[in-house]
Amino acid sequence: MRRKKKGYRKKGRNVVFREFQKDKIATISLFLLVFFILFVFIASLFIDQEALMRINLYDRYSPPGEKFLLGTDQGGKDILGQLIIGARNSILIALAITLLTSLIGIVVGLICGYFGGWIDNIIMRIIDFFVTIPSLLFIIVFVTLVPKYTVTSFILIMSLFLWTGTARLVRSKALSESKRDYVSASKTLGTSDFVIIRREVAPNLSSLLIVEMTLNFAGNVGIETGLSYLGFGLPPTTPSLGTLVSYANNPAVLQQYWWVWLPASLVILFMMLAINYIGQALRRSVDVKQRLG
Amino acid sequence: MRRLLSLCIVIILMTALTGSNAYSKNVMLPTSVTNEGTPIKGGILKVGIVKDEPFQGVFLAELYENRYDAAIMGYASNSIFEMDGDFLINDEGIAFMDVDQKENKVTITIREGVRWSDGEPLKIEDLILPYEIIAHPDYTGVRYDTEFKNIIGVEEYHEGKTDTISGIQKIDDRTLEIRFKKLSPAIFSGGDGLWTYAAPSHQLKGIPVKKLIESDAVRKNPVTLGPFKFHKIVPGESVQFVKNPYYWKGEPKLDGVFVEVVPSSSVSVAIGSGKYDIVTGFSATKWPEIQKYDNIDILGRSELYYSYLGFKLGKWDPKTREVVTDLNSTPVGDQALRQAMGYALDVEAVCEVLFFNFRQRANSLIPPAFKTYHDASLKGYTYDPEKAKKILDKAGYIDIDGDGFREDPKGNKLEIKFATMAGDTIQDEIAAYYLQNWRDVGLNVTLTNGRPIEVNAFYDKVEADDPDIHVFMAAWGTGTNPSPSGLYGKSDAFNFSRFTSKFLEETIQKIDSPEAFDQSYRAEQFRIWQQYMAEKAPVIPLQFSYEIVPVNKRVKYYSIDYENPVELHEIELLEK
Repeated sequence: MRRKKKGYRKKGRNVVFREFQKDKIATISLFLLVFFILFVFIASLFIDQEALMRINLYDRYSPPGEKFLLGTDQGGKDILGQLIIGARNSILIALAITLLTSLIGIVVGLICGYFGGWIDNIIMRIIDFFVTIPSLLFIIVFVTLVPKYTVTSFILIMSLFLWTGTARLVRSKALSESKRDYVSASKTLGTSDFVIIRREVAPNLSSLLIVEMTLNFAGNVGIETGLSYLGFGLPPTTPSLGTLVSYANNPAVLQQYWWVWLPASLVILFMMLAINYIGQALRRSVDVKQRLG
Repeated sequence: MRRLLSLCIVIILMTALTGSNAYSKNVMLPTSVTNEGTPIKGGILKVGIVKDEPFQGVFLAELYENRYDAAIMGYASNSIFEMDGDFLINDEGIAFMDVDQKENKVTITIREGVRWSDGEPLKIEDLILPYEIIAHPDYTGVRYDTEFKNIIGVEEYHEGKTDTISGIQKIDDRTLEIRFKKLSPAIFSGGDGLWTYAAPSHQLKGIPVKKLIESDAVRKNPVTLGPFKFHKIVPGESVQFVKNPYYWKGEPKLDGVFVEVVPSSSVSVAIGSGKYDIVTGFSATKWPEIQKYDNIDILGRSELYYSYLGFKLGKWDPKTREVVTDLNSTPVGDQALRQAMGYALDVEAVCEVLFFNFRQRANSLIPPAFKTYHDASLKGYTYDPEKAKKILDKAGYIDIDGDGFREDPKGNKLEIKFATMAGDTIQDEIAAYYLQNWRDVGLNVTLTNGRPIEVNAFYDKVEADDPDIHVFMAAWGTGTNPSPSGLYGKSDAFNFSRFTSKFLEETIQKIDSPEAFDQSYRAEQFRIWQQYMAEKAPVIPLQFSYEIVPVNKRVKYYSIDYENPVELHEIELLEK
């Protein structure tokens, strides 16, 4: 059994590699994204966030130039610095939300799918309940009510609603997987349920999960910036791409001070596209029918 | 008239004042404009009021509480007096008055043949009714204040002991006599408790005072004496006025006026596209956005208005209707701390960068337009962070635990809650900047609720003495009577900082005393009051402001000059 799994893994890796070779855009995206993320994380080490977010009225709306490479916003705050910290925040938040929701989703999904029956029934009704809640409105109300909300509470609120999708996907796969012969065989041999789930069912879903997580990641980057844009995301003292874009709500900024919102929009666009292209390539490598190579 | 402005519960970005020489270094804008062309017959004047929330829509002078309702009501005003350039009542209005200083009484005579917009003639009862509404036991509004009690018999009526106000007497069909406990010069600008509006008694008489605020007569179809009458009100959004054929100065030339609330974010573009003929409440911060349009003229005047930083120093006792000052129960009870907070604010930079010097740092609580009373020698709280730090060090506010924030003299953590109104982005920016200013001198000031508060909720909270508010930033229109009573007296609900003292109360009374008919005595008392307030700092004035009004070239003549305002019924529109 162990040997079989190893072989599968190796084959899987080759497939992914081939898939990227066939898809130039995905390859470029991958390189650019890795480079971008490295740059953002390293550069942000050298930026003092408190100094960056200091309001300096006399530098209000400075155009891109010598003093500020990408200009300043309405508070005289450097756009470039905000872009870097903002992108880092967005990525970290998206990553945290993705990991957290995936973890909950996988555990719940596996339990549902593997055991089935009444456990499945009860948990699925709870999931249904979460799905029917208009989560966006709920999040907005929550953010308005909590007087002092931070990045951590933001992540937790978001995660509360976003784990259901993963849970459902994992459940459906686990359901069919748990009917397979190898699971029955394992059961007859007296292996405990926990071991079967962790060591036998879960690895067989891993390829699917990687794709799911990648695409979720792109979505979660969008959710943070989207909410910040609406004014319900990060607090104003935390740099965010969404806040920068939201300055364009003012027609004067939209027309005259393009440097305030345009770079942030481009960064968001770039991240979304890149992650999506990578995700697509990964998905194809998992699904035989869609493969290019 | 005084109250018309004084009640204006105001966003900092709002309207404004008389030009003259108060701000010599500013960009000076004209106060009136005349455009050439052939006027059209009739037409609808489109007015935009800049506001990000719906308006409240309380259209009765006795009840309304904010300046937007006042601005809308301006087109259908029930004001019975007119004022000259010095804000003194003259004889040119619907009514004129005769002041008898010896007898402490005022005789008001109304013109013959003035009619309400529904054709009913104006009666003396219409002048008495407002007093009976405001002094009524069921009245919950804010106008039953110290000043109002100056009318003889008002307190007995308010307690329900009498059915009428003994000091107010109808002499004949055109004459009303009001007796006061004492008279002061404020009477000439509509102070001392004198009410300058009429209310349609034939419409309101049957409605209990308690129900007035929700009645159709206030919300839907108010009857008016003004040049225009309410035609259609879309709650919170717009008001359609049609001309009032019974207007006493003559039939208006326009067919009507359409007043609409327009969000601050889109107002500049709307002005550029010619959507509005006149825009009021336009923030000076947006001046560069409209400066380039050639379809408008921009008028300006200084405003009888100041924004201020208020400190909560006590509570309002609703039973006795009095201010109870308690300096020990608030973190900002220490005078030195309040002064330091004033010195720490960089108001100058805000005026210069965000308001293009249309606004000036305020040095006192009396706008400079009141030349006789304004104390120009007062320095006020200039930006001086070093001085602020020194004051704090001296008063014992020292950072003991090394977290970058000062602790109070007893060594406890000091967190000051600051309430500010949500407005346009500039508002938020100013609040953020002030927070930063305070942080720079080591004070831990945080926003009440963690964010700016929506305007209506803000004033509800401030009025209710919310324990989460220690400091707040708000504004007053001083109205045409600069007297501090009404805003700083012991029994004034509008005394939001809840600060009072024996000396303060005495000084306020001296300002409005009979001796104050002597100009120099009154000016001296005003000076004492301004200096006392500056020293005690229960309220720190921040900015005097300047109103700018964009007027479309479609309007033939428009003027916002205090001495010579445009007559609404004479406004005409030009052919395109």
